[in-house]
Amino acid sequence: MRERRRAPWMLLAGRTVTLALGARWFVWYVAVFLVGGGVFALFGLEGTVVDGYRGFARAVAGLVHLSLVIVPIMALLPAIGVIADDRESGELEYTLAQPVTFGDVYVGKWIGTLVAVTLTVMIGFAAMAGLAVIRGMPARVATGLLVFVMLIAMVFVSTGCAIAALIPSRARAMSVGLILWLTLVALGTLGIIAMFIRMGLSSTVLVAWSLFNPVEAFRLGVVSLLDADLSVLGPIGAQVLNRVGSQGTVVLAALTLLAWTLLPAGLGWLVFRRSGAMSG
Amino acid sequence: MITARNLTKTFGRHRVLDGVDLCVPAGERVALLGVNGAGKTTLFRCLLGATRFQGQLTVGGHDVRTDGRAARTGIGYVPQRPPRFQGTLGDMVDFYCRLRDIPADRVASVLASVHLDFAQQARKAVTALSGGMLQKVLLALALAADVDVLLLDEPTANLDPGARRDLLHLLNGIAPEVTVLLSSHRLADIEAVAYRVLVLHDGGWVFDGSLDDMRGRLGRTTTLWVKVPGTARQQARTLLDTAGPAVPGSNGALGTSVERPDAADLIRRLREAGIPIENFWMESPSLEQQLETLVGGSRHA
Repeated sequence: MRERRRAPWMLLAGRTVTLALGARWFVWYVAVFLVGGGVFALFGLEGTVVDGYRGFARAVAGLVHLSLVIVPIMALLPAIGVIADDRESGELEYTLAQPVTFGDVYVGKWIGTLVAVTLTVMIGFAAMAGLAVIRGMPARVATGLLVFVMLIAMVFVSTGCAIAALIPSRARAMSVGLILWLTLVALGTLGIIAMFIRMGLSSTVLVAWSLFNPVEAFRLGVVSLLDADLSVLGPIGAQVLNRVGSQGTVVLAALTLLAWTLLPAGLGWLVFRRSGAMSG
Repeated sequence: MITARNLTKTFGRHRVLDGVDLCVPAGERVALLGVNGAGKTTLFRCLLGATRFQGQLTVGGHDVRTDGRAARTGIGYVPQRPPRFQGTLGDMVDFYCRLRDIPADRVASVLASVHLDFAQQARKAVTALSGGMLQKVLLALALAADVDVLLLDEPTANLDPGARRDLLHLLNGIAPEVTVLLSSHRLADIEAVAYRVLVLHDGGWVFDGSLDDMRGRLGRTTTLWVKVPGTARQQARTLLDTAGPAVPGSNGALGTSVERPDAADLIRRLREAGIPIENFWMESPSLEQQLETLVGGSRHA
């Protein structure tokens, strides 16, 4: 009996995941997350015994900062590559010549990359979270951290796919991706603080930026899970806490990350489904 | 059946296709010619819906833009550059067969007709296979899908003579009801497959007619090369100049442009003048050169 035909997007997602599982980047990412997470879980939590909860929170805050630098770039690059590399190899053109909708192709690649990247994060961070729970971290915090790490990975997968759909040149797409990463991760926050000091921006702008920028939203969301007064985040944390409270921060941060996942994915899909983003 | 009305495609300010009309009835075999960059691949991409364009374009009655999936269901495509698919040949055939919902063994039986044992090749990495092998597999995938329209974008461009022969063998076996649009720079491929020729230039058709019509339009000019001893070279040159300006070749021969039937008369006259001929041969212009002539003629028309 013949196997029932699977939807094209499922076939494409399956192929994307299969290729990722056999790719070198997948193994490296898992290794980086495992080693990084393990080191923090084992040594970063040493302070817990000595300094109590405060030291514990600061150790995890260190992990958060490391995650927000590494996870976005590690999600962004394969997401751009999954479309841009196929375009360069001629595989995308040939796939688009098959009886599929271009939307199917995009959805398949997006979902496949989401699964592959979140799988690397899951393996690495779940191991870390497990170790941390054994060493005394509350399970609620460990789960929250894992969910937020997965959310930030999803944001940058969606953004990467959208960039690759919008920009036909691989090199240009990669450059735009790196500039965006740099803007959101480093320059964005530093810039807004500098502007806040120099131009006397209102605190509303500061709060809005913090909740608009997915990297800031990730940071606020995770830290607010473990530090009710957000003191480790300094003045920005204090401003946000005053406005929306601790639980509100977690919810708003999660919503920001979800919006940043769905909006770029939708934009990329709209562009891609018109012409497969081959040219013009 | 393929129809295009006022098909226009621009890249920036450059109009690659400028209000092109086209009608290819079912079962017709058409060769698409044009110099490099004329827009042949762009036309194929428009037919696949893989690029934006203005105008109307239907394949098999389906609007490429609004009903692209249905249009592509009836299209088999062999690109000029085979995709560098990640994985084995078996993975590739399996994946595209699943997308087309056809059994993979149908591809194997098409390949068997050109003595290609698919089972033996299936475990090889696609990137390790020759271009000729891949082009045969891509054509077999299209034929196995029982498509109504075949779009072949210079499928023999990078093939050795053996692979070309196999590919042409496959093309000759295509069912008569299948519409074929073939882009090629090889006259032999065109003669083997098509009987209608379309020449694309400056965004539009500069020729639409039969292969014989095109030959007639191109004329029968050929280059006659004659090799004579150095002592008789000046005398031979003077005589050849009467047909057209004689030019020296890189191998010491003298060449002149003549109408094909006049070549024998020129040789006879050289012999009658007592010039010892060491060797002579005729060189037909390549299809590209003929196209340049055709396109040049259309520019001045």
